[in-house]
Amino acid sequence: MSDIALFLPETVCLLGALVLFCAQVFGARYGVVWGLALLSGVAAVVASVWTWPLAGEPFFPGVYRVDFFSQFVKAIMAAGFLFIAAISGRPQTVRSDAWAEMPMFLLLATTGMMMLTSAMELVTLYISMELAAYPIYIAVALHRSRSIGGESSTKYMLQGMVASAITLYGLSFLFGLSGSTYLGTISSQLGTLATQPLFWLVVLFVLAGFLFKLAAFPFHFWAPDTYQTAPHEVVTFVATASKVAAIAVLCRVVALVAPAGVDAAMASRVLMWMSVAAMTLGNLAALRQGDLKRLLGYSAVAHAGYVLIGIQTMTGAGLTAALFYALGYAAMSALCFLVVVEIGRDEDLVSIESLAGLHQRAPLLAATLLIGLFGLIGLPPTVGFIGKWFLFSAAIEQGQFVFVLVAAINSAVALYYYLLVIRQAYFAEETSDEPIHTGVVTLAVAGGTTGFVIAMGVVPGWFWARSVEAVAALMG
Amino acid sequence: MQLLSEILLCPVGALVLVLLIPARAVQAIRWVCALSALVAGVLSVQLWRTYDAGAGGFQFVEIIPWVEEVGISYHLAVDGFSTILVMLTSIVFFTGVLTMWDLEIRVKEFFAFMLLLVTGVYGVFLSQDLFFFFLFYEVAVVPMYPLILIWGSGNREYAAMKLVLFLLAGSALLFPALLAIYHASGLGTFNMILLAQKAFDPDFQIFVYPFVFFGFGVLAGLFPFHGWSPTGHVAAPSAVSMLHAGVLMKLGAYGILAVGIRLLPVGAVYWAPTFATLAAIGVVYGAFVAIRQTDFKFVIGFSSVSHMGIVVLGLNLAVLGKAGQDALNGAVFQMFAHGIMTALFFSTVGFIYDRAHSKTIADFGGLGSQMPRAVSVFIVAGLCGAGVPGLASFWAELLVFLAALKTYPALGVVIIVGLVLTAIYVIRVFSQAFFGPVNDKWDDLRGLDLKGWQILPRAILVAVLVYFGFFPSALLDVIDGTTSTVLTSFR
Repeated sequence: MSDIALFLPETVCLLGALVLFCAQVFGARYGVVWGLALLSGVAAVVASVWTWPLAGEPFFPGVYRVDFFSQFVKAIMAAGFLFIAAISGRPQTVRSDAWAEMPMFLLLATTGMMMLTSAMELVTLYISMELAAYPIYIAVALHRSRSIGGESSTKYMLQGMVASAITLYGLSFLFGLSGSTYLGTISSQLGTLATQPLFWLVVLFVLAGFLFKLAAFPFHFWAPDTYQTAPHEVVTFVATASKVAAIAVLCRVVALVAPAGVDAAMASRVLMWMSVAAMTLGNLAALRQGDLKRLLGYSAVAHAGYVLIGIQTMTGAGLTAALFYALGYAAMSALCFLVVVEIGRDEDLVSIESLAGLHQRAPLLAATLLIGLFGLIGLPPTVGFIGKWFLFSAAIEQGQFVFVLVAAINSAVALYYYLLVIRQAYFAEETSDEPIHTGVVTLAVAGGTTGFVIAMGVVPGWFWARSVEAVAALMG
Repeated sequence: MQLLSEILLCPVGALVLVLLIPARAVQAIRWVCALSALVAGVLSVQLWRTYDAGAGGFQFVEIIPWVEEVGISYHLAVDGFSTILVMLTSIVFFTGVLTMWDLEIRVKEFFAFMLLLVTGVYGVFLSQDLFFFFLFYEVAVVPMYPLILIWGSGNREYAAMKLVLFLLAGSALLFPALLAIYHASGLGTFNMILLAQKAFDPDFQIFVYPFVFFGFGVLAGLFPFHGWSPTGHVAAPSAVSMLHAGVLMKLGAYGILAVGIRLLPVGAVYWAPTFATLAAIGVVYGAFVAIRQTDFKFVIGFSSVSHMGIVVLGLNLAVLGKAGQDALNGAVFQMFAHGIMTALFFSTVGFIYDRAHSKTIADFGGLGSQMPRAVSVFIVAGLCGAGVPGLASFWAELLVFLAALKTYPALGVVIIVGLVLTAIYVIRVFSQAFFGPVNDKWDDLRGLDLKGWQILPRAILVAVLVYFGFFPSALLDVIDGTTSTVLTSFR
């Protein structure tokens, strides 16, 4: 019984996916499927939050670990799925005969991501990673235009597979070095392992698959293309829940291989340079974009760089900051994509120009976009400001003054392209004065998420305390 | 609730109300803003009257822990400097709202952004927590973008973007510097009062101080990072120019003082000769460029660069010891005087522009006979800028001048040159636009001069300039005690 309780969030997601599968087999109307998806999302959130106080290793000891960290992250992912389900009332960029499949695939991917955050054994880790990846490969291809969907899906899948092959290669070395597939056993041998340069190279190999999901340099090439051309709802998932999963598992691996006292300078240095490259490249490339989703894709690359600031410190404070920022980042990019979904209903591609006059056509959507972008820029009172403050603080604590200076200058550069989007929404002459009708559910979700982004910025105490608790569970 | 939180609550409360009022109810929005500004003004005067200048130091302290794990707290307190700067903000806020009373376009959004800006400004002057200090600093800067972009004139898109990019590039320097101060202290708190008591390693101070100085200095219009300021002034609507030149630029100088000089005294002394020279170049450079301008607002914009140079010069002279008291008193006095003076300038130029739709100096001639009241007000501001006795700036510039003569006589000469140049550009504007042959083109402005309540904001500003011109001790007494406290670390 207790094992099932520990596995409850994953079970709920799997069952939800099964129910969605049956619903589509029996040809249920999309309205019904949508309702079931929402219901599964709510159930997954409730189940995840309910398991917060639990800890243990269900079924096979040493293979799967449930602690506050994993359950906290699972709740965020479940909330991410619920968010996407809620804005998918009419997913018009998805092929009309595949509407019902989309939530099912996303829910399956959520299951995989949940397992990923708990996996403590190499094979389980790899299987979870693939379970999280494959449904998204398919979902990306569900675009109503076959040529657009085919292109983005192929790029995403090929690059994803290369990254996952690198991870698998790294995992095999890890097994060879330590003679075990259990992360617990491997970490108990750290004393001898950590002195070998090969070990750190292998760790970086292992991280490749997760850096790919995070769209960090040099695994970022898929991001702009896939963001631009995948169905809006699917991109939202890739940009929010999937990012949280990647950050969570990066935290997990780093916490295992670099506890206090282990000299991880080499891996840390490599991650630092990846971070510099990701944020610089992402921000510079974003300056010249005319497509909103593509711009957000490059912005995601830059944000992968910011999150790596926290991870490369390999300290409790850094991982806490990364987790806190992951939570905030998921919410603020969700806000931006909500607006993309609403204004891009009839468009395959969403140009920045099409935002013109948004503040008159849909004042609430314009405000939602404003708060989301303020968050991405890092302005108060949103979580973006304090999130960056925590990340930078963790790096300064390690004496990385110049690195933080580079990151801060990067944020100032990024201001330019975000402001151009805001300018278009609030200032440009409208090309059409036709109001945009937004459903009640979407408005409620927009309001709630906006409130969340501001609440995390104004009263960060509670969220910060939870992040500290989660990382303590991770390191402990 | 205590006094300082009440002051901060005025714009915040008004902002919430304005957001709730439907956009059609323009009159209600204006009244909410005016009343909140009035209440803030009354509370600020009360603060000024009740602040115990004899005791000095930080008073009216409020601390509420906010994120305890990392030592962030909501921590308000004022010293003599922030007391008068809060009063300056309230005066400019109130007169700014009155100046924009006739605004018709997107009124709700305008006042919402303006209230956000004012919230940030109050927050910076009141906060004694480094995190909140920086947070409010960003809150104050960002609304400038929409304010210039939507309600500005001329080359507004360029000006708005340039301004925000410059200022946030300054913040980028501050980010690592402030966090480094926090971590280097080892105290685990952002409490600026506690951090000020910590003697940081001299090498650390010398390394970090330039980041703080330039980070805040950008907002103070410091040469050579002043490029955003004149273009921003010119493109912005009147009340925004008033707040921007009158108050926002003071945030930069105040930041140098509150973070740089207070927390990093050794660094401040080490860099003072270099940075004083930069500031002195700014004084003369700004004045020279102002002489050649053809646009009213550009003249005032560059005069701000010149006058803020005097503030920054005073701050740097203050730490060098020889005449520190005079220099710092003068610098802070100048922040106040310049704030009121530029508010008056922009309030009036904006008024003339709204009626004539021109701000090119050469277009006008003999405007004094067409709009005597508006022109008189402008002349008062101009005389104040030129440092004429009887107006507040006189005392500020005199104090910094004396300090400069005692510390580096060459810099004293520079200030005199700056003042002479100021007199030249002010008189040039007077003679070309206000006096001389009357340009008939503007005869229809005769009926459009300041009248009725339009006189009120300008009258308040003139009265303040004259009052403190005759009774400088009313301000100096409040400033002086705090100056002594700050300068103890330099003796």
